[in-house]
Amino acid sequence: MDAVLKVEGLKKNYGNLQALKGISFEIQKGEIFALIGPNGAGKSTALRIIATLLSPTEGKVEVLGHDLRKEPEKIREKISYLPEEAGAYRNQRGVEYLRFMANFYATEPEETKEFVKRGAQIADLGERLYDKIGTYSKGMVRKLLLARALMGKPYLAILDEPTSGLDVINSLEIRQTIREYVKEGTTVLLSSHNMLEIEFLSDRVALIDNGVILDSGTPKELKEKYGADNLEEVFRRAVI
Amino acid sequence: MRKFWNLLKKETKELINAQLIVSLIFTFFLFYLMGTLAQGEMAKAAAPQEIAVLDLDSSELSRGIMNGLSSANFKVIALTTEDRQSAIEQARESGASLLLVIPRGFGKSVLELNSMSIDTYYFIRGFSMSATSASGMVKAVIATVNNYISDTYIKERLPGVNPEELKNPVKNKDFVIVKDRIAEGSPAEVSGFILSQSTFLPIILMLIIVYSSQMVISAVAMEKENKTLETLLTVPINRNYIVVAKMFSSGIVGLVTAGIYMVGFRFYMSGFMGNVPTSGQIDTVVQKLGLAFTPQGYLVLGVSLFLAILCGLAMAIILGVLAKDLKSAQGLLMPIIFLALIPYFISLFSDFNSLSWPVKVLLWIIPFSHPFLASQNILLGNYPPVFYGIVYMFVVFAILVFLAARIFSSDQVLTMKLQLSRRSLKGIKQ
Repeated sequence: MDAVLKVEGLKKNYGNLQALKGISFEIQKGEIFALIGPNGAGKSTALRIIATLLSPTEGKVEVLGHDLRKEPEKIREKISYLPEEAGAYRNQRGVEYLRFMANFYATEPEETKEFVKRGAQIADLGERLYDKIGTYSKGMVRKLLLARALMGKPYLAILDEPTSGLDVINSLEIRQTIREYVKEGTTVLLSSHNMLEIEFLSDRVALIDNGVILDSGTPKELKEKYGADNLEEVFRRAVI
Repeated sequence: MRKFWNLLKKETKELINAQLIVSLIFTFFLFYLMGTLAQGEMAKAAAPQEIAVLDLDSSELSRGIMNGLSSANFKVIALTTEDRQSAIEQARESGASLLLVIPRGFGKSVLELNSMSIDTYYFIRGFSMSATSASGMVKAVIATVNNYISDTYIKERLPGVNPEELKNPVKNKDFVIVKDRIAEGSPAEVSGFILSQSTFLPIILMLIIVYSSQMVISAVAMEKENKTLETLLTVPINRNYIVVAKMFSSGIVGLVTAGIYMVGFRFYMSGFMGNVPTSGQIDTVVQKLGLAFTPQGYLVLGVSLFLAILCGLAMAIILGVLAKDLKSAQGLLMPIIFLALIPYFISLFSDFNSLSWPVKVLLWIIPFSHPFLASQNILLGNYPPVFYGIVYMFVVFAILVFLAARIFSSDQVLTMKLQLSRRSLKGIKQ
């Protein structure tokens, strides 16, 4: 199996606060891997380090063989990151935003067009794609941002709380989109505190609390191991 | 490079929004309107003004005064009444701005060297320039009459003596020396001319530094407020390009904005000053002294200005990182405004050479001071301090850009604010 992401003994300190206390995991090609845990468990910190936004205090991160400390720019070419609280440029139109972002990943104009076309399909905003982003609802912005993250077929998509703050319908649509578009070869690392969502989406999960990975495996394996009906119960038992 | 242009285009488009365009048009229109109004007032002040004259003397001298007033661009209304009170009423009704009353026996008395007063009544109907400029002109006419009478007297009593020589037996000639050049002329006039030529430079510099810095701080703050910075930092583009694109786009928009404001300001100022032609004499003196910008001088000044702007932009981008949102960004602009204001006011009110050492050192440390000092030094052919200033600004700029690039390449771009807020929270707990 080819590991797209390898994380070994990852630690992160903010002054005296230890946000990550040495976590390790690997994600194989085509997998959807999820970090689940409560708010403040260290999920977003881990994702932000892998997305090259924060530097690790200790430990090693490799994306497709590129070391995070030595080659962050190489890693940025291979990944796309959807932050939990992300926005888009309000004065741009949806299609302009997709084109602007596609230009960073495409090597030629034809490829930009291809990415934008794919982005438009993923966003599924119809004619509203030609309106200013400032006029979009929260759900529409999130769909556009997800489209941006997936349109370039990245090797690794890092999605932090992809359905955060969305209503049930929008959340379902986003989950459906992730499921549908990752079939084309993108590996996904996502985080959520919504355990039901994770159960629906993920191939494997890691339970994280207080900067430490408590356990990991497929949802089925974990449920069997802890004798639980769902991941919420698994998490509760793992913490105790 | 394609990625850089993509980013630069987006940054520039983000800055040129409807609010900016409307505010530019409004400010330009406001300046233009004020300039036009001022020009109208100046034209009114320069136009022939009506002056009522009650000549009770009807002597050759009184008629001479009336002719003098006509020559001084006054429209003279000769009143026929004999009574002073009714003359005031007539003058008021006619709309004249002032009334001159030449008393009986004026001509005879003055020629016998017994001084007599001409009474002047000013009708103040407003406080505009045109309403108050007439008094100076009347005084000038009376001074001419006085001169004429004293000259006539001297000529009659001392034939063969030039009255001018008698009245001013001691004269002086002014010479101005600049380096190895010397020219006959008044130092006050030369200084006045040079200052009038370089009045706009500090204003231009102030405007460009403040506008460009505001743009770049806002550009970073907007990314934070709209929560787009994290996404931008994870796209495959060198972080230094992000810094440069933000600085470059803000610099361009700041320059254009300042340029438009300056054109508007010129309209405004030309309304007051008009197109006053400079005397050929002062031009010759200035040329003789070499006090004119040569193409090389302009080039050196341009480099100095450009580096000052770059220093402002680099400072602004670092301050922008500290901003939480657009609102807090406005407050962060204050240090740059202060740093630009210090040399601006000092250049307006005093001379660098006459300042005390601590103030001189302070000015030298502030990068924005150097273009202010450079313009005078270039005119005086004193190039070494200008070059030292350029080298200093380059070093400051390089350090600031290095710092900005380091911040953008590290966690600090996201955590600097976080650390500050943590500190403030600690402060609250304590």
